[in-house]
Amino acid sequence: MRAFGYTVARDPAGAVRTATNTPNATYVAGGTDLLNLMRDGAEAHDHLIDVNRLNLASITACSGTLRIGAAARMRQVAEHAGVREEFPVLSEALLASASPQVRNMASIGGNLLQRTRCGYFRDAGSACNKRVPGSGCPAITGQNRSHAVLGGSDHCIATHPSDLAVALTALEATVHLLGPGGERAVPIADFYLLPGSTPDQETAMRPGELITRVDVPRTDLAGRSRYLKLRDRATFEFAVVSVAAALRTRGGVVRDVRLAFGGVGTRPWRDTRAEAALRGRPLTPQAIQEAGRLLVADAKPYEGNAFKVELVQRALVSILGELGGLR
Amino acid sequence: MSGLVGKGVARVDGRAKVTGAARYAADQEVPGVLHGALVMSTIARGEVLEIDRRAALAHPGVVAVYTHADLRRLNVPNFPFNRRFIPMQETRVHQQGQPVAYVVAETLEQAQEGAALVKVRYRVEEPVVRMADVLGEAFLPERFRDRPNEISRGAAAAAFEQAAVRVDRTYSSPMQHHNPIEPHTTTAVWENGTLTLYESTQGVVFARDAVATAFGFDQPAEKVRVVSPYLGGGFGAKGPTYPHTLLTAAVAELCGRPVRLVLSRAQMYTSNGHRAEHRHHLRLGADRQGRLTAIESTSTAQVTRVDEAIYNGSESAVRLYACPNVHVRQLGVRLDLPTSSYMRSPETTAHFGLETAMDELSYELGIDPVELRVRNHTDVDQQADPPAPYPGKRLLECYRVAAEAFGWSRRRPKPGTTRDGDEYVGWGMATETHTHAAIPSQVRLTVGTDGRATLRTATQEIGTGTYTVLTQIAAEGLGLPLGHVTTLLGDTAYPAASLSAGSATMPSVAGPAAEAAAQARQAVIALAVADPRSPLHGVPAGEVVAGDGRLSARGRTDTYRDVMRRHGRPVEATGSRRNTGGHAFGAVFLEVRIHPRLGRLRVSRVVAAYDLGRVLNRRTARGQVIGGVTWGLGFALMEHTMVDPNTARVVNPNLSTYLVPVCADVPSVEALFVDPEEPDAELNGIRGFGETPGTGVPAAIGNAIYHAIGRRLRDVPFSQDKLL
Repeated sequence: MRAFGYTVARDPAGAVRTATNTPNATYVAGGTDLLNLMRDGAEAHDHLIDVNRLNLASITACSGTLRIGAAARMRQVAEHAGVREEFPVLSEALLASASPQVRNMASIGGNLLQRTRCGYFRDAGSACNKRVPGSGCPAITGQNRSHAVLGGSDHCIATHPSDLAVALTALEATVHLLGPGGERAVPIADFYLLPGSTPDQETAMRPGELITRVDVPRTDLAGRSRYLKLRDRATFEFAVVSVAAALRTRGGVVRDVRLAFGGVGTRPWRDTRAEAALRGRPLTPQAIQEAGRLLVADAKPYEGNAFKVELVQRALVSILGELGGLR
Repeated sequence: MSGLVGKGVARVDGRAKVTGAARYAADQEVPGVLHGALVMSTIARGEVLEIDRRAALAHPGVVAVYTHADLRRLNVPNFPFNRRFIPMQETRVHQQGQPVAYVVAETLEQAQEGAALVKVRYRVEEPVVRMADVLGEAFLPERFRDRPNEISRGAAAAAFEQAAVRVDRTYSSPMQHHNPIEPHTTTAVWENGTLTLYESTQGVVFARDAVATAFGFDQPAEKVRVVSPYLGGGFGAKGPTYPHTLLTAAVAELCGRPVRLVLSRAQMYTSNGHRAEHRHHLRLGADRQGRLTAIESTSTAQVTRVDEAIYNGSESAVRLYACPNVHVRQLGVRLDLPTSSYMRSPETTAHFGLETAMDELSYELGIDPVELRVRNHTDVDQQADPPAPYPGKRLLECYRVAAEAFGWSRRRPKPGTTRDGDEYVGWGMATETHTHAAIPSQVRLTVGTDGRATLRTATQEIGTGTYTVLTQIAAEGLGLPLGHVTTLLGDTAYPAASLSAGSATMPSVAGPAAEAAAQARQAVIALAVADPRSPLHGVPAGEVVAGDGRLSARGRTDTYRDVMRRHGRPVEATGSRRNTGGHAFGAVFLEVRIHPRLGRLRVSRVVAAYDLGRVLNRRTARGQVIGGVTWGLGFALMEHTMVDPNTARVVNPNLSTYLVPVCADVPSVEALFVDPEEPDAELNGIRGFGETPGTGVPAAIGNAIYHAIGRRLRDVPFSQDKLL
């Protein structure tokens, strides 16, 4: 890790100004991922702008919207009474992430921007199109157990590791940004990009932009949500497969449903075709299985991750069965 | 006798460790020390063509960048160096992550950045990476440390063909890494031609001798001192001496200043050995009553183009069960990967196959797995000529005690028939066993003029409780309170003693410590009875009893403090009694719960009983059991070093993606000991225990999975995808 400059920002506009005017600068909040990336040589920055003192850590329930400050800590959001009551999937996804120590440090904005756990990406001695564009993707013919079966390209099949992002995708959250050109809001569905031929471009954020908050719509549906995370050990591990689901039924018929998936896609994965297949139909194992088949219709499995195609469908049956009271 | 030995005495070094007062190898303050960083090869096979160090040398703080062209020639040491080449002696690259340049700088960060700036150009040859691709080239390697790779008795092949019941299966396990939490570190300080190394090692004496050989010193003790006061875990990774230690010493000599090197976590995946990938073809033959008639065991382990040592011994196939016809072969296949090494409980690797095959045989026969093992029990070492009885073997008692505590008699034998809610419940068991070594050792005890004692020996504390247990033995033997004995370890300035590997520490040093304590006690008693100022003057020495710092006989009492104050000079005694190697035994029973739809598995209960001879400290022994079971759980369920099949680079060289169990994966572990009622006060024949717990756990988990869902898994780790 090479030496870098460090500035503590006092207000959001000042932070953006510094980021815009300083070459090769980036923001740091909890630093739980960024510092590891810098130590491993997966990222190199000449300047860090500390955004922990920007007064962006509050969680506020407004009419119709829950506003989560980008600097709020994972633990703070997970334990927030309103979040637990109105957005169980959010609290569960956060509590299923990382460890208590990491959750005490890591911010919501940083969580959304954490980088993939792909071993080739994090190894400065390996090729990786995401780290060094054009250098190749060894995962495609190499070790790909943790990689995506959906949304990949010939250039990259890395998964996005955030559980929070999966939950926010199911909840149709909006990411609020402040940049040199002012404020803007990006729906989470548009926030993460597919890798295509530019896997180094992960989000819709523009240079100098800072996440200021995440808005989550308050709906009845959100209150009936769950997060199921499957992984290779009991805790402190990223998802092999995860599902964020929200379900409203009346008389056994699906009134509304939202589904998002982790561990299987190159970005937090949502497939509205699977949701549409369930909406208006009685919630039966057969209906869920059909939705699952639609979900994986375009899946492209590799040697190490082919099992995810089956596992994600089973996870869907499991979580919707639980939410819908099926046994 | 104070009865200290055997008690669950709390660690005497516990406070120092949890408060940070304990100084580990890299914590030693060395004035003027430079920081080292290794530049590692990014190819698996080929040659270094050119090393461009200009950018590194221009980086602030970088003092020097050394390559093979700069380094002195070093001799390749024998054991415990365990490899036939030293990097940076020539241009050849044998593996990914081989040191090709060594950067020294004023700060650690400057050294690391300097290392990142070194540009290396290679001539690349295509590596052979996958064992499966070259299994046909398996060969019988040379003996390693005089241990043959082929052992037989009787006629196993013919007996297998004639057997009434047969199991013929292949079991496998991947490359695994030790991952001690303290990284490997070495600090080399030269002064007037002598070298001091502050080293993270499981064997200061062996490290000293290896380094002395490398530098061509005939008198190791005069030229090299190795200091390792505490170890943050070793698990075999710090048993051998590795190239980075030799390179650091050579570089410190070159630059004329002390140099400290701390390997990064990622570098530890290529620098200090691993458990080799292993395939194990086992054939068991038995008669209808379940008595084994044949064991044919052919294992194949990864070796390299330059090294062919096999570290995963097949001891249990040779000795654990009564069987007249045994044929064991340990083969190797050469891959372009790092040289493997010992990893905690090396015999686990092959024992996993044997104990799984025994379970399969139990189902073939319709005999309970415990009963099958009891029917094949032996009290003699069948490979010895003539067969020799195991002293005080209590394995049968382990089966009985653990089965009872577990409730094994309530087990429904048929697989897939026990459910609890959404989960299938399975019970499995296995025998646990491991060999231990005993290495000639000396222990010196000094009773000072204050009546307090200091024990010195050049074995080391590797986290298992050596400071504590030696303090107990010395205090009990002397008749002093625990707090009046100080134990000093981990320094070759002390009397030479055992490597802390191969479960050898206690078998090697417990006897000498007891011997030294007895001698010192007798010497102090002799001083008392000969001294007219002592209340014990004139009492026959044989009548004097020592305890709690007092010497008493005939209603009269003197104290260590007073005797030694009057004497005015310290009393010294050295013990060196030798022990022999042997085996410890146990039985582990455990329960798994499996969610069938999601393949989610958890181990919910573990009960184990052990025969380790005399228990020296019930608390640290239990700690070994918890640690060993946790290792077994990791072996069974998650540990797996992933290597890229094209480049041979390790893809998960960190604790984020190389999974080891976390607390939530480990249930409470009930540890039982079947130690004898009347222990041997002289501590003769103490057995080594460290590596026994956990050896049966991978098989017991696989056996429990079979019991739960009727699916036999033979390839670890038993990850979720295999349970779908």
